[in-house]
Amino acid sequence: MTPPKGYFVLHPFAVPALPSGAYTLHAEHDLGDTTLTTAPLDSHIVVTAPRFTMPPDQILSTFPPANAEGGFRDRLPQIVLKRRTLPWDRSAPAPDDHTPPVPWLALVVIAEGEGSLSGEVPVAQCTTGGVVLDPPYDVPTSVYLEVPQTTVDGVFPTLDDLTVLSHVREVDLADTELAMGDDDGFLAVVLANRLPQPGVDADTKLIPRKYLACLINLEGQYDVLPKPLPEVDLVDHFDALAVVEDLRVDTSALVTNPDAFTMGAATFQVPKGIAAGGAGAARALDATAATGTGQPASAAAKSWAPSPRDIESVAVSAAPDEVGRLVRDQMSAGFRIPAAVLAVLRTYRFPVLAHWSFTVTTDGTFETYMRGLDVGLLGSVAASAAPAGPNALPAPPSSRPPAEFTETGHVGLPHQTRRGDHVRAWYRGPLVPSPTTREQRDGDGRLPFAHTSDQLRTTTPDGREDVSRAGGFEIGRLLALSQPSVVAAMARWRRDSFGAEAARRLAQQAASADMFANTLQTGQSHDLGRLLGRDLLLAAAANTDVVLAPNRPPTDPGRPLDLPGGDLGQVVADGLGFSIDQVRKLANNLGVAGALRQTAVPVSVQVPADPAAPELRAALDVAIDRLAADVLRSTPGPTPGLQPGLAAPGDGGDSGPDVLDELLREDR
Amino acid sequence: MIEVNLTATAVFANAIDLVKTFQAPVAETDELGNDRIIPLELRRWLARLRLLEGVPFAYLAADSELLPPESIRFFYVDRRYTDALVEGALSVGTANTSDRAEMEQLYPQIRDEIDEEERYVRMPGGELPPDRVSETVTGMLLRSRAVSGWPGLHVRAYGAGFQAADDAIVPDDDPHRLYMLRLERLAPAVLLALFDGIPAAVHIEEPRHGIQFGVRFDSLGDPSTLQPWIPARDGTTGLDVQPLDRVSVPCRPGSPGVLDMRRMDERLRNDLKTKMGTEVDAGENALQLLRFPYRQVFGNPPGQGVPDPDPFRPTPTLRIADLEVAFQRGVQ
Repeated sequence: MTPPKGYFVLHPFAVPALPSGAYTLHAEHDLGDTTLTTAPLDSHIVVTAPRFTMPPDQILSTFPPANAEGGFRDRLPQIVLKRRTLPWDRSAPAPDDHTPPVPWLALVVIAEGEGSLSGEVPVAQCTTGGVVLDPPYDVPTSVYLEVPQTTVDGVFPTLDDLTVLSHVREVDLADTELAMGDDDGFLAVVLANRLPQPGVDADTKLIPRKYLACLINLEGQYDVLPKPLPEVDLVDHFDALAVVEDLRVDTSALVTNPDAFTMGAATFQVPKGIAAGGAGAARALDATAATGTGQPASAAAKSWAPSPRDIESVAVSAAPDEVGRLVRDQMSAGFRIPAAVLAVLRTYRFPVLAHWSFTVTTDGTFETYMRGLDVGLLGSVAASAAPAGPNALPAPPSSRPPAEFTETGHVGLPHQTRRGDHVRAWYRGPLVPSPTTREQRDGDGRLPFAHTSDQLRTTTPDGREDVSRAGGFEIGRLLALSQPSVVAAMARWRRDSFGAEAARRLAQQAASADMFANTLQTGQSHDLGRLLGRDLLLAAAANTDVVLAPNRPPTDPGRPLDLPGGDLGQVVADGLGFSIDQVRKLANNLGVAGALRQTAVPVSVQVPADPAAPELRAALDVAIDRLAADVLRSTPGPTPGLQPGLAAPGDGGDSGPDVLDELLREDR
Repeated sequence: MIEVNLTATAVFANAIDLVKTFQAPVAETDELGNDRIIPLELRRWLARLRLLEGVPFAYLAADSELLPPESIRFFYVDRRYTDALVEGALSVGTANTSDRAEMEQLYPQIRDEIDEEERYVRMPGGELPPDRVSETVTGMLLRSRAVSGWPGLHVRAYGAGFQAADDAIVPDDDPHRLYMLRLERLAPAVLLALFDGIPAAVHIEEPRHGIQFGVRFDSLGDPSTLQPWIPARDGTTGLDVQPLDRVSVPCRPGSPGVLDMRRMDERLRNDLKTKMGTEVDAGENALQLLRFPYRQVFGNPPGQGVPDPDPFRPTPTLRIADLEVAFQRGVQ
């Protein structure tokens, strides 16, 4: 009976009727008569099961998802397999006769630096030296995980843990969310025993840490698994900053000081957790003290962690047929330990059937985020803008004046008017803290309708403009204009539906009205348009002020000039150096234009070049400059104290008031 | 030349009269048999605009202080503003006075049609909207790393009269449930939801992607020291032991995050309330470690005497639920 939708049933294990292996089916037929014999029949059967590589179709899902980044620190990684018996398929003899049966699969989660993932190698090399797995092998090559004793002791599950880490889940096939495309509704689930924690940098600050989850084959190596610790050694808490093991060495130290490295006094990083925890295999090595290189350990860690950018650059630059391998290499870069390091340690190899990596970030859990939320109505300002939580960044210093908010949800914003004035206006978006009333129909069933945004601008009691709805109008207009299909639909609608309707009704009314009766009856309607146009034009021309707009005068009167002498002619004549009286006399006969044409204006004469002229001119220039400078300095300008040549920007470099300044002042 | 009594005044008067009595022809009949003057594609687009689709975020929240990081803000939707959006869109292509006058004449009908249409914009999973036009539209903006880290949050709003406990499993057809007009991530970490009505309670739940196993943490003063624990569950029913029975999970010393499953199971077995017999098997172990989607409830806690003026007062209730797990002893 399958469970109902939304429900599932958990089973502790599912043992295959026939464990994987080679079998001979021996058949004999006894006919009860010794004289009648039949030849026995031997049929050979091989029950196959994955051993070194998990076929991709057997993996239904993983958690965390491959290459995911997130705050997975309170969740156990898991892998869901399609065939329910997979974790118990191999009847690998457990060290003692265990009930319930011990799975041969384990999901181990290792952090960067805790172990090394190999490339593809022949399966014979995939196990620790000395451990030989009997054929048949499902694949010729596979990958293996090589880990030192410390990692095994620190991270791997115990034999007892193993039995509770794999279970079978029975779901309703019709429940797509739970069944995930399975064929029989029974799924095998392998859990890890480790909650992946974020990493820690040299300043004991949390940083994202990359993890590799490996589904490993434990055949023949059950005795390597750590022994259960006595109850007294267990603790109820852990230090999330501790590190089990980090074999990522500062390779530069390896090169410069190979002796120290080989002797074991080398550059293992930050093994503070081991020292604190006191596990048996602890090798507390002081990174910086031992090497003497003085290089901070975290530098190496940084260089090891592949960033998405690195991976991308590899993906882009690699040759097409090598991309797959190179990108894979780059992605597992944190899980490649130099052979020289592994060579000096006692390490174990486990065949890896499936592996994926994910990154645990410093993010909190969903629960901590939701409980840390600042709750309020829009328009209310948070009591403290800083997010809660241990990893919260300090609030950046405010580089702007405090924002203006009102209880109604309006925000004061700088506003440049069309005249160019800089003022402040109120704006309130569509999301408001209190209910608003919508416009209702008036007695005729009509609603106010704005044709331009200016119709929606209002002035608030404090004298400032409220441009909220005007802004909304413009956004709606621009959104419509930004999509040609909408503009086209609008035009089509207008043309096909109510454009046509308007034309139809106009024709109808025209036909019924007296004024067109004659025209239409005499059948000379082709003149109607011309007649209408002419009449309209005449009507408009008769009263342009009303129909079109008031006339604008061809010129605007200028401002009267305030001249010291009072006589403009005198000023012009003085400036150009001729006699005004003479011109006026001539003007009596010739007119002003003719008189001016007859009057010579003195022009400076071109003097033949004098050999002494350049020096003289230079001397004069100097004298003039000095005089000018003296005059400028003595003139009280708008920026006293400034040198003439150093006037304030925008001042035009001129410190004295001139006629223009006077005009401007008058204008004010 | 034919003599007709045709003056500009007469023509204008007639034009005005025509516009004033203008009735738009029916553009089409919609799925429900109602006559519509706006063609479908335009109606859809205007309804989506009414639900603020495409409106730049700076126009929704004009200042970043209105929506600081890690905050949730509830609001009413100003229908006058959303009407202005539609008016702006309708102003496109009105070339002359008669266009405008016709549009003005038709606008009441246009507004009604968009009111009708906006209910049909979302319709998740073919769910039909309530058989009435939305009056008050409210909503919430959530800006949090929870949005970026947990895509696919479940958001539910319940109207006045909703009395269910915070951890109750509320069926989707609960009569108090408010229809959701829009639920969308505007930015990786910003979620916008629009409800049809005024909510009394809002539930936000973790996405239900698959089944997850894990623990809960207590922090022991020092934020880096974590104490994992799980709520004990009854092995025969799969439900939490009531009252909450916290079982701390033993850890392997020196190995951050590594749990000792066997010892944890022993502790659970010794806790008689779990009714798990003498041996804890893998299925029972998994049952104890199951983590249900976390639900955060915003709203007035039921039974509170004085009505709170702020309808969205938060209650930091900590509840799990909604997925119920039936547990059955192992087969074999």
